[in-house]
Amino acid sequence: MHRKKTLALAATAVSGSLVLAACGGGGPSASGGKISDGKVVLGLLNDQSGVYKDLSGPNSKVAIQMAIDDYKAKYGDKAVAKDIEIVTADHQNKPDIANTKAQEMYDRDKADIILDVPTSSAALAVANQAKAKKKLFIDIGAGTTALTGKSCNKYTFHWAYDTYMLAHGTGGVVVKNGGKKWSIVYPDYAFGQDMNKSFTAAVQQAGGTIQQSIPTPFPNDNFATYITKAQSTNPDVIGIMAAGGDLINFVKQFNQAGLQGKTDLAVGLMFITDIHSLGVDQFQGTKFTDAWYWNFDDQNRAWADKFKEKTGTRPSFAHAGNYSAALQYLEAVQRAGTDDADAVVKQLEGKKINDVFLRNGEIRAADHSVLHDAYLVQVKNKSEVKEDWDYEKVLETIPAQEAFGPVSGDCKM
Amino acid sequence: MSEQLTARADLELAGEPVIPASRPGLRWAMLAVGLLVALALPWFIYPPVAMDIAAWALFAISVDLLLGYTGLLSFGHAAFWGTSAYVTGLIAINAGVPFPLAVLGGALAAMALAVPIGYLSVRRTGIYFAMVTLAFAQMVYFIANQWRSLTGGENGLQGIPKSFFGIEAIETDSFYFYYAALPVILLGVLVAWRAVNSPFGQVLVAIRDNPARARALGYDVERYKIMVFVLSAGLAGLAGGVFSISHGFASLQELAWTTSGKVVLITVLGGIGTLWGGPIGAGLVVVLEDRLASSGFNGVGIITGAIFIVIVLAFRHGIWGTARNGVAAWMRRRRSGAGGS
Repeated sequence: MHRKKTLALAATAVSGSLVLAACGGGGPSASGGKISDGKVVLGLLNDQSGVYKDLSGPNSKVAIQMAIDDYKAKYGDKAVAKDIEIVTADHQNKPDIANTKAQEMYDRDKADIILDVPTSSAALAVANQAKAKKKLFIDIGAGTTALTGKSCNKYTFHWAYDTYMLAHGTGGVVVKNGGKKWSIVYPDYAFGQDMNKSFTAAVQQAGGTIQQSIPTPFPNDNFATYITKAQSTNPDVIGIMAAGGDLINFVKQFNQAGLQGKTDLAVGLMFITDIHSLGVDQFQGTKFTDAWYWNFDDQNRAWADKFKEKTGTRPSFAHAGNYSAALQYLEAVQRAGTDDADAVVKQLEGKKINDVFLRNGEIRAADHSVLHDAYLVQVKNKSEVKEDWDYEKVLETIPAQEAFGPVSGDCKM
Repeated sequence: MSEQLTARADLELAGEPVIPASRPGLRWAMLAVGLLVALALPWFIYPPVAMDIAAWALFAISVDLLLGYTGLLSFGHAAFWGTSAYVTGLIAINAGVPFPLAVLGGALAAMALAVPIGYLSVRRTGIYFAMVTLAFAQMVYFIANQWRSLTGGENGLQGIPKSFFGIEAIETDSFYFYYAALPVILLGVLVAWRAVNSPFGQVLVAIRDNPARARALGYDVERYKIMVFVLSAGLAGLAGGVFSISHGFASLQELAWTTSGKVVLITVLGGIGTLWGGPIGAGLVVVLEDRLASSGFNGVGIITGAIFIVIVLAFRHGIWGTARNGVAAWMRRRRSGAGGS
């Protein structure tokens, strides 16, 4: 008796709601103007509370605002985008949150572009959303080559660095400068395996030899046995492919084993914020590839000074990358005369760019990989450090065309 | 922990029968309201977030089936949610079947996985049970991390399609997708509801309250525990499958121990042993995470953690349990007042 009534009630409720849904669910209609919704909205989606907070985080919003200010100052009344807004969200390095937030930014906040998105799985999820929503996505913080490989699409650009660049920069150039014999220690999961493969290829291509490749568990605290094993063949260079907390553990134990200064240490993936958090004395002498360094030349330094005025700290490559991506996007909107995604993509593809971040930059049309000069750097000795964040000396500039890999066969636009 | 649970169980028994036994009409009304809320959700909440709430709600219900009704705290339920997320994704990508079928496949895979895990872990109770399930979940996590050719490693399994008989509105618009996927979730809720309101459910409660006595009455306690464990894994699998279809990918996050922790948090927050607690906890936590992520505030964990502490310390029965006990006490007082005059 009761059950029948309830079923009837439920059926009414279901059908009622579905009718309502059918009536009111129509999507937002596109406005007729050149700038959709009357304004350009830049979405910044990154880690604002976790491990990458300092690398990019909230300060990237400041960097993007600097790009907006520079754009407005340059074009004044002639600016196509008059009303420019930034929306931000914290993806907490979780791909599901990144995925939902990206949809929300495109749909609800009317974002015309999403920027940054560190953490590979999150970046790949956002790339799929960009493809589905036909809106732009420029990734700065993530390193996976899948963004310009298997997951590449018309609306996704990869701006700053990738694992190929890191491996070939560090591996290739260190061998060229005499570090012939290598031992590689890598964490045994996808990122570590990829890095090991890329480094091995880069070192051998440059004429070096890999004496041994040692996998370690991930995550891992105690590297003592792996360090002893890596050292046992007397290599010129030990390459470590760990990142974040594992890297910091490894370097501490490497130093405690008395190897600092005896054997060269090359790091696969490292950021200036890692040096800052562990202390320059722990990392001194270490070599790695950086996408940008604030104290490289006067142009970088001038921009870094402006950044410091606003934030009280020096910029990482990710901050400069966000600035550059936002600025070049706005420039493309200016050239296209609209913020229509397809028109803007057309303006970006194949474009050669020189700005504070991109030197000899080129947006490769075939896979949307952004080629630019990269830098092999060495961490300074503590005595050489003259001011805060003055941690790196650039050993060699790697030309844009050599720094990045060839177009991947997996990429089908 | 188990002492607390038992103490809670006593309170539960004292409070529980008041509403359902004396007011069946009220219960049906509540079900109707719940259904209406589920149907109206994407009108008020951004549809993908609404879908997340529905999926997490069913996931929490599956945990509640173990925690609230059987007294088993599983700390490895991400294994089933995540396994189903991957299997569902693989079926959807490779077979191209309508997504409910893929989700069903995922749920079956989760149940198949739950048989050996359940068989081995139900021999322990309390903290040992929690640790054994956690250990199994970590095993699954590392297998998924290493098996790159299948799972994509830490890049995750990307590009899972929402195939649904070629109906474009559902396949591309998350608003319509919600209504296509909601029946799958409701099916799971119905199964859970049928299970707890049946002799089977009564036996579970008996096992929770006094396993020795249940055994003395002739019930095979271990077998019942395995059955409910597998059932619970299937429901978690349904939820995880819908989740991965909705997001279009499955990642290691789905298998991580933090996911197991989050679902226990949701269940306890909402109130255990009620089935209503899960949806309420899910709504609260998912919306909170969503709002805080865009708020510019840099400490999402601090807020959810603080709320959890307050709820556990001040409202031991969770949100739903506290509210229900409050209403029950009020009704009892009114009734005894009316009888006296």
